[in-house]
Amino acid sequence: MNAVRIAWRVTCLNFRSQLEYRTEFLLMIAIGAIWQVSVIVFATVLLTRFTGMGGWDSSDVLLIPATRMLAHGLFVLVLGRMHGIGRFIQEGQIDVYLLRPMPVHRQVQLQYFPTNAIGDLTVATGLMIGALSRSHLDWNAGRITYFVVCLVGGMLLEAALFTAVASASLRFPTADYWSRWLEELLGTFGSYPLNVLPRAVGGLLTFGIPLAFVAYFPAAVLTGHGHDTGVPYWLAAASPVLGVLAYLAARLLWRWSLDHYTGVNG
Amino acid sequence: MTVLHAWRAARVTPLGELHAPHRMTAVLVRLTVQVVLVASLWNGLYDRTPISAGMSREQAVTYAVLAVLASRLRELDQYAGRDTVIQHMHFGTIVYWYLRPLSPARYHALRALGEQVYGAAWALAGYAVCLAAGVVEPPRSAAVAGVFVLSLLLGQLVLYHVMLLLDQMCFWTVRNSAAMLILIFAQNLMSGVYAPLWFFPAWFRTLSTFLPFQATLNVPLSLYVGRIELSDAPLQLAIQAGWVVLLHLFTRFLWRRAARRVISQGG
Repeated sequence: MNAVRIAWRVTCLNFRSQLEYRTEFLLMIAIGAIWQVSVIVFATVLLTRFTGMGGWDSSDVLLIPATRMLAHGLFVLVLGRMHGIGRFIQEGQIDVYLLRPMPVHRQVQLQYFPTNAIGDLTVATGLMIGALSRSHLDWNAGRITYFVVCLVGGMLLEAALFTAVASASLRFPTADYWSRWLEELLGTFGSYPLNVLPRAVGGLLTFGIPLAFVAYFPAAVLTGHGHDTGVPYWLAAASPVLGVLAYLAARLLWRWSLDHYTGVNG
Repeated sequence: MTVLHAWRAARVTPLGELHAPHRMTAVLVRLTVQVVLVASLWNGLYDRTPISAGMSREQAVTYAVLAVLASRLRELDQYAGRDTVIQHMHFGTIVYWYLRPLSPARYHALRALGEQVYGAAWALAGYAVCLAAGVVEPPRSAAVAGVFVLSLLLGQLVLYHVMLLLDQMCFWTVRNSAAMLILIFAQNLMSGVYAPLWFFPAWFRTLSTFLPFQATLNVPLSLYVGRIELSDAPLQLAIQAGWVVLLHLFTRFLWRRAARRVISQGG
């Protein structure tokens, strides 16, 4: 309980510190929104210029970027500081965190308030409202519950991927390079039906870099395309479970990497 | 002696990359995967659509893959080298740029030149592989190839000045990472990195003609794939050259103003 109170107070102070530079604060909200709008622009261009995507109609396709964006926005808000850990390591911040009586992971997450998450979540909510208003699905309690669980699962899966890269950064600071690529991949190829890609490439984005589990499989199950994803239906439906398991594994990896962290001076 | 100084400054980034094999491996893997994914996406989209927005499958795939390769020209892991302007401003080490027997403007340009030549080697190697594998089409004629190379060079000059503007912004704003991200986003979107500009609505393409971003990549790539005819090339090249001159004059003015703002620790 005390830990939660401290985390909340630090978050409030971080938020106030972000407000110190008002223009930067507003621009950070804008950047979150603009990055997400880029996905919408690209999706709109593709949907208007081509006859559907992979046998999905536009309302179903829109559910994929909407789910991914919401999951991403939640990740940025709650666990997103893993994304910039390469910089903390380069600047020696981790060495400072190791001396304090608070878990290093929590200190990293409390490093600053992610203002851009406000923009991310605003656009994601807007897109989700748009996707739901076009949707012909029966949004009963079961489907809504599954959708919410999928959002949490998607957030955890994204967190797991970035935590794994952060763990590598503890040993190899330049591994931070991969986190930018991962974000780019998630933003582009995580937002469309992957069955539009050749089977081998789709397999890479499913079993190599499991971004298909963030939004594509959950959306496929919700919209009735779950049997056409190229993986067994149960695996696509179990995407949220995979998110939880991947996150737990990533945290174990983080703990192991931190135990073997030697700092810049050896 | 000047040439020696220039050579030493220009080779900093390439040398740094060559001494970090894991970073080079990362670039190779990332570039390969990105090319495969982009080519697969556009091929998949064209499965049931022979022509879209006036572009054939071959034109769209070639444009998109070349855009990925071209984006490598300036996307090195500069942050790891701790020699970006924003890092120097953050740590207060920008003052050293003003203590060397080499002006900051020239140092910045030489570093960028080295980076772009190094990046061009990657892009060229990638292009050769893609061409041999049939992923991209060859230019339609020698004239198209020549005009494309000239346009690409001008485009890189425009891109250098756009990136320089971002760096120069650091002299005026304490926190400017958001503004930098927005400008980088605009550059990627309006130059055709995300998707060929020909797929965007007419109003978007009209807006792009008034901004320098499309001159960096869209113009050379459109010349290459034949969306801009050779007869229109002189006008497009002139517009690119115009942007280079305009941005050069503006950034030179900003370098002079920036110098007045730099103070060493203690004032």
